[in-house]
Amino acid sequence: MQLITPPRISPQQFDAALTAFAGVVGTDWVLSTDADRSAYADAYAPGPQEQWPAGAAIAPANVAEVQAIVRLANEHKTPLWPVARGKNLGYGTAAPRMAGSIVLDLGRMNKVIELDPKLAYGVVEPGVSFFDLYEHIQREKAPLWMSVPGNAWGSVLGNALDHGMGYTPFGQHAKNLCGIEAVLPSGDLVRTGMGAMEGNHSWHLFPLSFGPDWTQMFTQSNLGVVTKAGVWLQPAPETSLVLTWDIPNEEDIGWVIDTVTPLKLAGVIDQNVFIPSWLGKIVLKGQRKDFWDKESAIPEWRVQELLKEHKLGYWQVQIRLYGDEAVNKAKANVIKSAFKRKLDAPPHEGWWRTGDPVNQYDPTMGVPSAVALQMGDWVGGRGAHMGFSPVVPATSEHVLGQLKRSRQVIADHDVDFYASFTVGGRFATNINMLMFDRDKPAQIDNMKKLFNALIDSTAKAGYGEYRTHLGWMDAVNDTYNFNNQAQRRLNEAVKNALDPNGILAPGKQGVWPSAYRDSAKEGRA
Amino acid sequence: MKRLALILPLLALAACNRGPADAPKEPPKQAEVPKGGPPPIPPYQMRAAQPEGNRLASGRDAKAVFEHQCGACHLPGGMGTNLLTKQRMLAGEPPEMGLLTNRTDLTPDYVKTVVRQGKNAMPPQTKVDITDAELDAVAQWLGKKK
Repeated sequence: MQLITPPRISPQQFDAALTAFAGVVGTDWVLSTDADRSAYADAYAPGPQEQWPAGAAIAPANVAEVQAIVRLANEHKTPLWPVARGKNLGYGTAAPRMAGSIVLDLGRMNKVIELDPKLAYGVVEPGVSFFDLYEHIQREKAPLWMSVPGNAWGSVLGNALDHGMGYTPFGQHAKNLCGIEAVLPSGDLVRTGMGAMEGNHSWHLFPLSFGPDWTQMFTQSNLGVVTKAGVWLQPAPETSLVLTWDIPNEEDIGWVIDTVTPLKLAGVIDQNVFIPSWLGKIVLKGQRKDFWDKESAIPEWRVQELLKEHKLGYWQVQIRLYGDEAVNKAKANVIKSAFKRKLDAPPHEGWWRTGDPVNQYDPTMGVPSAVALQMGDWVGGRGAHMGFSPVVPATSEHVLGQLKRSRQVIADHDVDFYASFTVGGRFATNINMLMFDRDKPAQIDNMKKLFNALIDSTAKAGYGEYRTHLGWMDAVNDTYNFNNQAQRRLNEAVKNALDPNGILAPGKQGVWPSAYRDSAKEGRA
Repeated sequence: MKRLALILPLLALAACNRGPADAPKEPPKQAEVPKGGPPPIPPYQMRAAQPEGNRLASGRDAKAVFEHQCGACHLPGGMGTNLLTKQRMLAGEPPEMGLLTNRTDLTPDYVKTVVRQGKNAMPPQTKVDITDAELDAVAQWLGKKK
């Protein structure tokens, strides 16, 4: 990918900045060839990757180097786009929102600094992947479990900071963060929570501080570069029991939600309950053409045939319980009676006890895997996906409303329906998976139109996305429109105060510093 | 029938969330599969730790680098292995050829090109993911397997 420099920076000025950065990290860790730029492009870009080009990448080895780079970026007016490991597939990978930004790749900072089996937490750097932390825990034989996302190739911190979700009792990853260390846009270093006191022993244990706590200020934000953080982990359970129901019909999702949510709120169910539609099970069985050989969406009659052929329900619910065997049995009885009121078929039951092998593909057991990415093969060619991800109240009324609305919009665009609801408590996230072949421009155009229509209709109905791809960050930010975009105005006031040169991640989540406001109109999908 | 045979190794994946631990107590989905059934899902494969020392220097331990940097997808049961198994079987080869470490037809240059440029489901790898020195070692090692 050819060099695109940031706004108002000549190639010569850009070179001077890279030379200065090389003085900090060494020339080998300043990556600025065309091939390097391509490697930092969005591998799943909906359209040409050139819409979100990095100018270069720099890879610091420690906090002091991050601070030095941030100070130099201010001096040279070259904006940085920090990534932990840059594996945010479906949301932009490592690519920056604003063209020419320099990717600050924290992948080399990959130490597990601390692991405390007694109080069940770890302290990690941003380059630590889910695989790294899992294996560290195994090597230490620590009785701890993690919560992992569908694609665990990425960073533990990066995923939590971008509001990623998992499927265990610790599935809301941003809430597991306790005590962050971050480099501010000035180059200054802060520690949030109790870490604000030098040598404080409760830094990664007490989730607040004395006075306002700024931990969440650094999630989905461009106000600092997180260089380490505490992450709460789950004490390894003695046993675990999974109850699995195939739920026959589409509209059954209503009673399923109304059954699960009260149990979740009452503490009978601890985990985030993931409820995928049938296509989630089929995508791993082969390619789309094996099941439906036309470009048009799979019609309802064929869906019904496939459900019969593969003995699948329209939805599948898996509820996993963790802990003492007697407690799990008691909880299972409560859950089974609640389901029995709506569905005669008993669940499949699967016990796991300490020492039993663990299924490496089961994200509810906290084992990292990248196998979910196999769904890229479903459409064939260079398959990719995007997720449309609104949040809805966890009641049948809202879930069925959202389902009906998004299904209609998706059907209007002649695209297959593949959705899941994850009950996280009082809310459910609704991920609509949109798969496409990167080499089919017409298909991508249609996906983009569909995505815009989904954002629009969903916002009008009173729901917002919690996460989105680079190309829609501004569009989604626009939907947060209370009092003339008061939230964005607040975010931008803070941004301008802390980052007057706008050098940290301009445009992240639709928050633009004054210095680069003009660039907001570019890079929209 | 041929297609069924191809789908076999992947059926284990379709039963995602129904692993060895749970399988005996559940009505086996594998019942749809003719005798023999799909191979069991391999247990989680621990990768070698990242070798100590300068990642930019030549002479890196190729096997350890391969496991550490490529192992998230290319060890038994990994996403890359599963997709390559399907691909190799379509090409008439036995399923174990899905593992890169079993391949005898790779060249160092080919390995480097795929790693840096990506291929199909595999995204390009940056020099932070794997340095040139590390890639040299891995490419020589994979390319020399006969």
